[in-house]
Amino acid sequence: MHLLNLTISQFLVLFGSVSAVMLALYLLDRSRRRQVVSTLRFWVAAEQPAPVSRRKRIQQPWSLILQLLSIGFLLLAIAQLRFGPQAMAPLDHVLILETSAWMGAHSGAGGNDRTSRGGTLMDEARERAKAYVHSVPSKDRIMLVRADALTTPATAFEPDHARVEAAIDASQPGATALNIDEALTFARQIQTQSGRRSGEIVFIGTGRVVEHESSPGMRIPHNLRVIPVRDSVENCGLRKISVRRASAEPDLWEIYVTARNYGAERRSVNLVLSFGPTPGGAPAAVRIAAQRLVLPPGLDREVTVRYRTRAAGYLEATLLPHDGFARDDHATLEIPAQKNLTVGVYSDQPELLRPVLTASPRVNAAFRKPSEYRPGKDGDLVVLDRFRPSVKPECDSIWIDPPAEGSPIPVRARLSSVPFAQWLSDHPLGAGLRAKDFRLDATSVFERAPDDIRIGEVQSGPVVIARPGKPKIVVFGFHPGLSVLRYELATPLLFANILRWMAPEIFRRWDLSTGSVGIVRTALDSDVQDSALKVISDQGTPVPFTVRDGSLVFFSGTPGTVRVLAGDREYVYSLTLPQLGESRWQIPPEARRGIPRVPQTGGATDIWPWLALVGASGLLAEWLLFGSFRQRRLRRSSAPVVMKKAS
Amino acid sequence: MSSTPILDREFLEKLERLTLQWQKSFPGLVGGHNSSRFAGAGQEFLDHRNFHHGDDLRAVNWRAYLRLEKLFLKMFQIEPRVPVRMLIDNSRSMATYEAVKFDYARRLAGALCYVGLVRLDTIEIHSFSDRLGQRFVCSGGRHRFGPVVECLTAMRTEGHTNFVSVVRQFISNYAQRGLLIVISDFLDDQGCERALQYLADFGHELLIIHVWADDDRTPPWDGELELEDAETNERIKLELDKPARERYTHAFDSYSNSLQRMAVRTGGRYVGISTSQPIEEVVFGPLVRIRGIA
Repeated sequence: MHLLNLTISQFLVLFGSVSAVMLALYLLDRSRRRQVVSTLRFWVAAEQPAPVSRRKRIQQPWSLILQLLSIGFLLLAIAQLRFGPQAMAPLDHVLILETSAWMGAHSGAGGNDRTSRGGTLMDEARERAKAYVHSVPSKDRIMLVRADALTTPATAFEPDHARVEAAIDASQPGATALNIDEALTFARQIQTQSGRRSGEIVFIGTGRVVEHESSPGMRIPHNLRVIPVRDSVENCGLRKISVRRASAEPDLWEIYVTARNYGAERRSVNLVLSFGPTPGGAPAAVRIAAQRLVLPPGLDREVTVRYRTRAAGYLEATLLPHDGFARDDHATLEIPAQKNLTVGVYSDQPELLRPVLTASPRVNAAFRKPSEYRPGKDGDLVVLDRFRPSVKPECDSIWIDPPAEGSPIPVRARLSSVPFAQWLSDHPLGAGLRAKDFRLDATSVFERAPDDIRIGEVQSGPVVIARPGKPKIVVFGFHPGLSVLRYELATPLLFANILRWMAPEIFRRWDLSTGSVGIVRTALDSDVQDSALKVISDQGTPVPFTVRDGSLVFFSGTPGTVRVLAGDREYVYSLTLPQLGESRWQIPPEARRGIPRVPQTGGATDIWPWLALVGASGLLAEWLLFGSFRQRRLRRSSAPVVMKKAS
Repeated sequence: MSSTPILDREFLEKLERLTLQWQKSFPGLVGGHNSSRFAGAGQEFLDHRNFHHGDDLRAVNWRAYLRLEKLFLKMFQIEPRVPVRMLIDNSRSMATYEAVKFDYARRLAGALCYVGLVRLDTIEIHSFSDRLGQRFVCSGGRHRFGPVVECLTAMRTEGHTNFVSVVRQFISNYAQRGLLIVISDFLDDQGCERALQYLADFGHELLIIHVWADDDRTPPWDGELELEDAETNERIKLELDKPARERYTHAFDSYSNSLQRMAVRTGGRYVGISTSQPIEEVVFGPLVRIRGIA
């Protein structure tokens, strides 16, 4: 017989304290009470004997004994009194089952042969986990914990081993690498919190961990048992694919592919890149490149490929031949189309505007006479040079020195030979504009609405002004090509700012990457404000992130696409590759290994429910016999009925 | 006393058909509703007696004089106005057990006052403990009930009960006999039977209303107790069990019976009331049965 929850000394101290308190309360309750009555004459007449002077006499000893016994039984129930030797008491085991991505690899001698390979490492781990569950005594409880980058309990401490086996069968390989440190810490903590005797912490898996997560100072639990799963799988896989447009040629994509040999032998593989309108290797896909790679064991190899296209599509990379772990042999990346900004320019002097509108390859400018103006056929943007159209354009527009009666923003005054005052450089439209010391021969000063953005102004008011909304409008009070500004750097900068403000998606820079799930770090440009950062999943929900040392860091536990919007740059992460561990966790020498051979039988018997029942029954009986219930019954039985005497 | 009204309007309406009753004949001026055996200036013939010097010649029976040549005087029955006096115990014993007895006594006194006022009786209310309190007189109909309520509400418990002293003071102050209603718990250590006997012998008709709380008759306590007299502050230590409680109740009932016997012996009436009984039930039950009201 033994106590599971408390030691004998703890139980005795607790019982002694409770008994002392109960005795004090009992004596206090049963002590002589003072009562004011109407008269004492009937008490004297009734010849009541005066009690003995001893005040703390126990008047109802059976009531006290019954209460103490009941409390004792309840405390024994809390202490979990058990019959049987303490060594045979049920235990709480934590079974850590590795569900990292690597567990999806095919095992066996023919692991590298796709045709003759057997089951996966996960199948083998499941079998070993169930074998361990069978070796555990039936009264022991087991908690199943699935471990990859995150540690997830699949069951509570479950006495029903069939449920544990069902949870084992439902375990599938994840997409991340194993974090053994977190799993062991969690198991140790959960065993400490359970009220029963701690059993074993059992780890079943290959133990492949990411290099930086295998900390050498990790605390190893004393009750650790390791049931290793043999993984002699030779694997070469894609590690990362990055795609970005060449800075000089917007139609040219630069593709960087990184592959790694996770095995122990040098391997030679073929890297095939294709591009098609649909994913999955459609017949319309175009083979971009095919390259033979020789990968030394444990090393990466990077390949750079250039491909010219303006179309949207899917870039697919495949390593051939496939090996025992095929999930990292193939990756797909969605590439957006390269759009151009179509600008219609209506001017009698197109040579004044041609330098600033044809400098960017992403801008297609068409120059026409004002008489050729047709509303609705202007493309994305229309530039109206000193020209008042009969019908206002529905798209975005830039008005250069419009007539006062036809200006989209009212003209307050027309000034001559006025000094230019300043650029409003705190707005992206005025970013980088420095030219100041010049005079404008003739300019219109505009009447600014509350939402309008002043870009440049003279003393009397704004002369270059922008109106946000739909459509966006920018109005110049003067022609920059006919003023001193023509020779200033501010002019192309101003037009570049205006075009970027009007069509930011055209000038957005794209960085496309395929990688593995887990922690993703992105180096940010120095001018990116934290408020301009957004990290969005493919479902449109925001993803939590932090910015540390100029890098944005976020975590994705499931495969999918994550977009990072950082100012004019957009990073698209297609996190579809599995995360694999590069190194192997060193099993500590003090840890037990393998499945216990002799199943333990027998065990202690729980009697705390019966003790709790007896204790509660004792308290109920005490209340019925000596408590307020009896006093209430007594009062009911002696209710006064005296009206018959009155008459 | 609680802030709720002593008696609600619905109950007062039920009281309007009742009348205070007494059995003795009392002298007094006409205007009452109970006939008296004392002769007076009434309308209904009662008896003849010999004429004495100074009698009213208008009452001489001249027909008898012509026939018998002797002067006889005709006497007539009257219905005198008899004062109804009410003694309400306000000793400290009435305040025990959250003053349920005192509240009950005041409500019952209010009900009886209202019955008397409706029949145009004159009601005199006295509180008493070890001496007689100030007299409050009310008459003239139901619309004078408001001052009665104020008087009853203003009463406070004080002092200890001394019936002998109170009766002596009462007899010396008020010579006119009449109906005397005594509402009390009658817990006087000196005994109240002798004092009540004095009142009856003096000519008053007693209506004794004995009020007690349930805890007065059947104490609910158990175990060791230290009891303190609410009036004298004397203390007694007891160990109370079921037999002791039964003996106590028996002693209490014996005392109630002695009060009842004394009342019957002196031509009065007695009613014992527990505060757990509703006032309405008491008025239309025991008080009607003993013909205290009709």
